[in-house]
Amino acid sequence: MSASRPLYAPFALNPEGRAHLIVTSLPAAPEGLEDSLANIEVWTVKHGGQGVPLPVIDGVRSWRSTTELLAQLGHRLGREAAGLRLYAIGSEAFVWDAYKTAIGAGLHPSEISLHRSGAFVRRVYCTHCRSIIEDVPANVVQCPTCEAHLFVRDHFSRRLAAFMGVKVDAEIPGEIPEPEVFTS
Amino acid sequence: MKLKLTAIEALTPGISKFTLAPLEGTKLPPAGAGSHIVLEIPGPARMWKNAYSITSASDAPVYEIIVRRVEKSRGGSAWLHNHAKAGDVLEVHSPQNLFAPVRLAKRHLLLSAGIGITPFLSYLKLPDLAYELHHCCKPEDESAFAALLPKGANVTIHTSRHTLDVEALLKRQKLDTHVSVCGPESFMDMVLATTAHVGWPRLKLHKESFGGATGGAPFSAVLKRSGVILQVGPEESLLDALEAANFSPPCLCRGGACGECKITVLEGTPDHHDHYLSDVEKAAGNAIMICVSRAKTSELVLDF
Repeated sequence: MSASRPLYAPFALNPEGRAHLIVTSLPAAPEGLEDSLANIEVWTVKHGGQGVPLPVIDGVRSWRSTTELLAQLGHRLGREAAGLRLYAIGSEAFVWDAYKTAIGAGLHPSEISLHRSGAFVRRVYCTHCRSIIEDVPANVVQCPTCEAHLFVRDHFSRRLAAFMGVKVDAEIPGEIPEPEVFTS
Repeated sequence: MKLKLTAIEALTPGISKFTLAPLEGTKLPPAGAGSHIVLEIPGPARMWKNAYSITSASDAPVYEIIVRRVEKSRGGSAWLHNHAKAGDVLEVHSPQNLFAPVRLAKRHLLLSAGIGITPFLSYLKLPDLAYELHHCCKPEDESAFAALLPKGANVTIHTSRHTLDVEALLKRQKLDTHVSVCGPESFMDMVLATTAHVGWPRLKLHKESFGGATGGAPFSAVLKRSGVILQVGPEESLLDALEAANFSPPCLCRGGACGECKITVLEGTPDHHDHYLSDVEKAAGNAIMICVSRAKTSELVLDF
């Protein structure tokens, strides 16, 4: 595995925190939290809500998209007081977007924990036309913008929260290998 | 380098400001906010080397330091207060910075007590530093400290520790704030305990600890590699004793903070007074910070 690929610990609450905000790109929070006595708030993403804001159910706030969640997260962290710990759970792209938002709000890396969960899909950065391609399931993908066939390298950029995609048929144009589905 | 003492100003009966200027034709090395210098101070029996925070701005043409006369002075501060006079030339080591303000912090909460204000005086001379300062001092020193500090809603002087509610203060800080603390041991301990209690992340807490060197029972230091046995007196540190014997062990802060002077202990039990080693390392007892720590046994065998 490439040295640029981050490693993720299993999700666990950090006992140093006074309050905990868990944000996830998945429709549900990790199990077992309801038994915890800690001061916990959970944000999830639920698609298909017909465009209207979603109600808070059992203390869990659901947003309509990860974009909406991340925008609200920035505002929320700007108002929050010291003692909070942030947890981001979901796709690699989502957790690193959340990380960037949190660092921008002044959190220290030690106040943030990231946990990969869900389908093995990657955000890919086309190194030729600089387009971003979301939810790529396999290691060869065609860039929808410049139409280059890209090989998805195991090279992860934390700044872009994306994997680098480079032209797969640069040497022999038209020779596109069979895509392999990601298993990590 | 040699610097000339150009002015001494008493701020309170026990606290004075000393101005050190370069000799003619020379220039001072720049000293960023939070830097300190080590002064070589002549004593009756030997030389004292004491570290003092620079309180002047980083681009000032002189270094200013503020020194409290320590009641049981080992010699350094007493000489500065009683014998130093304008015109004296002193040997001064180039500035070191072990307490620079964290550039990533968007806001700084500065907590100090007594003479612990000194590193922050250089911070406050930075342009555009977003800060809130709380300083604790004795009632009789309040006006002297007030004269050193800018006037503003973000500066508060407390003449009793009871008016400074550290827990409430920390709990209302935003997530983009870092805490820096400097002061006597008991003040630092109180702030550290409170930060842990409110869930303040350890890496957003920065502390300056000086003056940890206290005397204690005399002991022998066996320098295994050098083949020398030194006697460390009740009023001197192990570092002082080594330097008196013409050794030059690495050291920087002389206050148990920087970790530079760590030496391996081969036999004997160290009596740790530093802020550098972790609790686990202290319990292991196989390393000592020679600037402040002493011995629980009558003899220490060192890998030196």
